[in-house]
Amino acid sequence: MKPQHQYRYQDINPIINPKSVAIIGASDKPEKVGHVILKNYVDVGFQGQLYPVNINTEPNGKIMGHTAYRSILDIKKPIDLAVIAIPAELVPKALEECGKAKVSGVVIVSGGFAEVGNQKLEDRIAEISRKYRMPFIGPNCLGVMDPRSRNDTLFLPTSKIDRPKIGGVSFVSQSGSVGSSTLDLISGEGFGLAHFISYGNATVVDEVDILNYLADDPETKVIVYYLEGVKRGKEFMEVAKRTGNKKPVVIIKGGRSPAGVSAAHSHTASLAGSAEAYEAVFRQSGFIVAEELDDLLYFAKIFETQPLTTGNHIAVMTNGGGHGVLATDALYLTGLQFPKLEPSTEKALRKAMPPIVNIAMPLDIGGEADAQRYINALEILAKDPNVDAFLIIALFQTPGADEKLANTIAQFASNSKKPVVVVSTGSTYTRSHTALMEAAGVPVYDDPVAAARSLAALIKYSKFRNKMIV
Amino acid sequence: MITMAGLIEYEKAQAMLARAGIKTVESSYVSSAEASIKFAGGGPIVLKAISQKALHKSHSGLVRLNLWTPEQVRSAYADLAKTAEKFKPYRILAQKMIHGSVEVIIGGKTDAQFGKMLLLGLGGVYVETFKDVALRACPIQKYDAQSMLSQLKSKPIIAPDKASEELIVSLLLKVSKMFESSKATELDLNPIILHDGTYHAVDLRIIE
Repeated sequence: MKPQHQYRYQDINPIINPKSVAIIGASDKPEKVGHVILKNYVDVGFQGQLYPVNINTEPNGKIMGHTAYRSILDIKKPIDLAVIAIPAELVPKALEECGKAKVSGVVIVSGGFAEVGNQKLEDRIAEISRKYRMPFIGPNCLGVMDPRSRNDTLFLPTSKIDRPKIGGVSFVSQSGSVGSSTLDLISGEGFGLAHFISYGNATVVDEVDILNYLADDPETKVIVYYLEGVKRGKEFMEVAKRTGNKKPVVIIKGGRSPAGVSAAHSHTASLAGSAEAYEAVFRQSGFIVAEELDDLLYFAKIFETQPLTTGNHIAVMTNGGGHGVLATDALYLTGLQFPKLEPSTEKALRKAMPPIVNIAMPLDIGGEADAQRYINALEILAKDPNVDAFLIIALFQTPGADEKLANTIAQFASNSKKPVVVVSTGSTYTRSHTALMEAAGVPVYDDPVAAARSLAALIKYSKFRNKMIV
Repeated sequence: MITMAGLIEYEKAQAMLARAGIKTVESSYVSSAEASIKFAGGGPIVLKAISQKALHKSHSGLVRLNLWTPEQVRSAYADLAKTAEKFKPYRILAQKMIHGSVEVIIGGKTDAQFGKMLLLGLGGVYVETFKDVALRACPIQKYDAQSMLSQLKSKPIIAPDKASEELIVSLLLKVSKMFESSKATELDLNPIILHDGTYHAVDLRIIE
């Protein structure tokens, strides 16, 4: 039985964004999960109060230099979040004490509940949560990470996983492994994180509560979601529609079973299995469905930084012929197209570009093009009302492409009212320039296909928001 | 052999659809070849044997199409009755034959998680082959109906012009409303034949 509950933004927020944290199971012994968690709080520089709790604490004992407590009840100060990392059978007692101590919310990291068949123990903790109206995330989860408050319940050592910078992307993962590995990738990409939530068994706080929280969260501009399944279908549909109409949700669904596995009585039942039902709900909510993990990252970074547009005419500029061809193919295959340039645009380009440049889409400005030639062409194209967005190819292997070009593109993109994506393919030298542009909020892709797909996702979502049929 | 416990009797299903303003082809149960000829009234008809034991009528050989003359009707009736023996008990349904170039399916099912869902696709014999279908959770809005249609690869075939698009959209909304407010758990209107600026559902299956 799932408890009846409806947690609002202010109920969940203390778990995500706490001012005081008690770590139950904190320890000086490095092999303990509670040790890694406390150490992470210290290492990432958590801004609020930290209270290690360990049942074996001696009077006046300290753990990692912090005053330690035998029970959360001994702290006698307001506690926003309790992180529980102790063996499963001890969790109910600790949770009960959290309730008595009026803790606002809890993350139960410990495993050993319904996922290993111990439904009874899970029901017990659900009941305690209900009794005190004290939401918890988990059990059997990584929990939360919030780069702003530096709240970080992840039991993954900071040396083994990069922590992303602050940004507008919230990443939710039912699975811990998809969560942590993707988080590591996010850190390597140029965009930043608002919140990370990995919620394990979803015993109390589930996908409905989390989406609801993120829909109302002002820090979250984009939601990236790895979902395996939902427990409250009707409520999920409601909150999904509300969220999708407010901000982009990029989703990847795990466990897509084939359609019509059970004996179906009708054509409809055999054609519309569970995977198709999820897809239908995602479509109705305007969710952007990612087919692979890479897409989560590609789409997240365009949505975080670029404005919406319903126009699908993409101006392509390049300093490499082949990349122009590949980008053209990718655009047309995803349903996008070139703009028909105004005669005045063509005339201005003809005047500004050297004679070897053919004034047509894709605009190949030559392998020797430098920052000045790029910006000359970009400024002319930006004035053309038929251009809805830009795909700029900048190959840094060429002699004219340097740091100045990266800065020029970054500046153009920052000022542009129309979406801009950049394609830069290459290794060490290229990557240092990619990082420069991404730091300025420009989505950069290795591959023209990824760039085109991301633009297509942006446009599709923009049309949904404008109730245009796609 | 799978039987359909909750299958609603044909005439009752037809009445349910009629109440919702959904057009079905004129049809009647017949108990003899002569009654079929009388029902035909000179026009072409179809004869179908209806049995709880036969899931797919055409797969089970229980449909005789395009019967024009009394001779054709008599011979088809006798032949159909013989084939239907192994699906006893059965009844024979006579329907007016409708000619149209495009067939669609509109269906409904109940998903364990999200409840009632509505489906639109290229219908008739192509359903299983191309699986060109769009699905939405009920209740659907006009926007959903339009986007279902535009999701189909076969949209240019099903709705080549504005009028046929509006026809399908309004039909989808009617079926959605009817399905949502009924006790039905599954629904197949397949095929629905589009013809002469209108449509008729020529086969229906509603399961409670």
